[in-house]
Amino acid sequence: MGELGRLHQLIIPVFGHNITINLEVMVMTWIVFALLIVLGLFASHKRNILPRPIQALGELIVSLLYDLTEDALGEELAQKYAPLICALFMFLLLSNWLGIIPHLEEPTKDLNTTLGLGVMGFLIAHYAGIKSKGFKAYIKEYFQPIFFMMPLNLIGELAKIVSISFRLFGNIMGGSIIILVVSYLTYNLALPPFLYGFFGLFVGTIQAFVFTMLTVVYISVQVK
Amino acid sequence: MELEVETVIKIAAYTGSGIAMGLGAVGAAIGEGYTAARANLAVSRNPKISGDIFKNMLVGQAVAESASIFALVIAILLLFMDFASPSLLKAAAFLGAGLCMGFGAIGSGVGSGYPGGESCFGISQQPQAGSQLTTNMLIGSAVCQTPAIFSMVVALMLIFIDFGNAPLTPTWAAFVGAGLSMGLAAIGSGYGGGLAAGASCEGIARTPQAVTSVTTIMLVGQAVSQTPSIFGLLVSFILMFKTFPESSMLATPMALLGAGLCMGFGGIGPGIGNGMAAEGAVRWVARNVEHSNELMRIMLVGQAVSQSTAIYAMVVSLVLIFVV
Repeated sequence: MGELGRLHQLIIPVFGHNITINLEVMVMTWIVFALLIVLGLFASHKRNILPRPIQALGELIVSLLYDLTEDALGEELAQKYAPLICALFMFLLLSNWLGIIPHLEEPTKDLNTTLGLGVMGFLIAHYAGIKSKGFKAYIKEYFQPIFFMMPLNLIGELAKIVSISFRLFGNIMGGSIIILVVSYLTYNLALPPFLYGFFGLFVGTIQAFVFTMLTVVYISVQVK
Repeated sequence: MELEVETVIKIAAYTGSGIAMGLGAVGAAIGEGYTAARANLAVSRNPKISGDIFKNMLVGQAVAESASIFALVIAILLLFMDFASPSLLKAAAFLGAGLCMGFGAIGSGVGSGYPGGESCFGISQQPQAGSQLTTNMLIGSAVCQTPAIFSMVVALMLIFIDFGNAPLTPTWAAFVGAGLSMGLAAIGSGYGGGLAAGASCEGIARTPQAVTSVTTIMLVGQAVSQTPSIFGLLVSFILMFKTFPESSMLATPMALLGAGLCMGFGGIGPGIGNGMAAEGAVRWVARNVEHSNELMRIMLVGQAVSQSTAIYAMVVSLVLIFVV
């Protein structure tokens, strides 16, 4: 049980400061990248009008996510943001599923990954907002309904980052902690496979979808 | 009367265990009762498919039960585990774990009864949409469990992580506060998520072809109504993992306890309110699919406003932790 709440870290001292690198998370993230690139290559290799199964799978995912983005953002902006949304969803889905394989860990179990993605979504949403409304109208929004609401509006915006990233992190890390404890208590008999199915596949899929949808929604709220 | 450390830990573990299971039994039972009541109504409306309704009811109740099963696991752990490092901090951690899991199971238990009940009723009205309804119910009530899962995680961390030799005086309050913050904040979010999931089952029964947009808006609405419980999780993580300097004053531990109570109680209302907003949006999307975008926007803006009270609570509890 000593593994609970412990991380494998590489600490490099540079000029009196310690640079901490979560090695495991980085390796796992690169594994997800590699899987995604391989999947992409296979799906787009020898494209045909009669798709092979893997091409059909790729087309299915891409068209589903394009439709979702188009519903929320409109056709014009969807052209711009749909690739990002597809990439985000695929990355999160594979990251959340990675934990099912023994000896591999979900990169989304680390707050740094989810917080990074949350900050990315936040910056993109605000960039899109400034671009579509203009800087003045964007700043004006913070002083709605009365000017002294500004600090609270600001905190409300920042709280969005906290909620979106902690939601994913909490679900994935919570699942893995519950699996760890239950496996320890039942001596790895019987229960853990079901838990992997529930927390890894089911909750992982739903949370990847929720994170992606919320990023789209944040962009669409800023744009309109 | 002088008490030995081990006795105090035992007392705390037993009390925590009782609180966890006692409070944990409340919510799920209410939710399951609601499901059964709606199933009775459904059978009386459409007795021909009573078999399908019965099956759906049992599945829904089984999912709603999971919140109190989490509480049972924590209660049994507290009763029967042997712990190597006897320090008084563990006693506070056990009490916090019991409070956290007990309160945390209430909301999710009650909430996940709603999708079960509404899907039973929906099947009686729209039998050919039965499989869609069951799937949607499963997704909705599984997402409802998220606050209970968060509470279980905090409880497990409080039980199992070895906090070493942190100073006793402010840290005991931090542990109890961590449990209260997560447990209480989970009540509103679990209940609110249930409202949204229930409305989505009702909506799908009304307009089965709108299933994609209804499920999407349900998920977004539930996710936003879980935000107060995420703030609770954040505050309890800070309380657990921040190292507090030793102090003999009474004010410091009370500030930490207050931070937990503030975030916990402050999260109940926004969770339920956001759930109501999501419920309204989901219900009307099913009746008016073409305008789902406008409905979702109104839902999100409304939720952001009702969420602001949770943000005030979080700001105050962060001030209590870091400034006072």
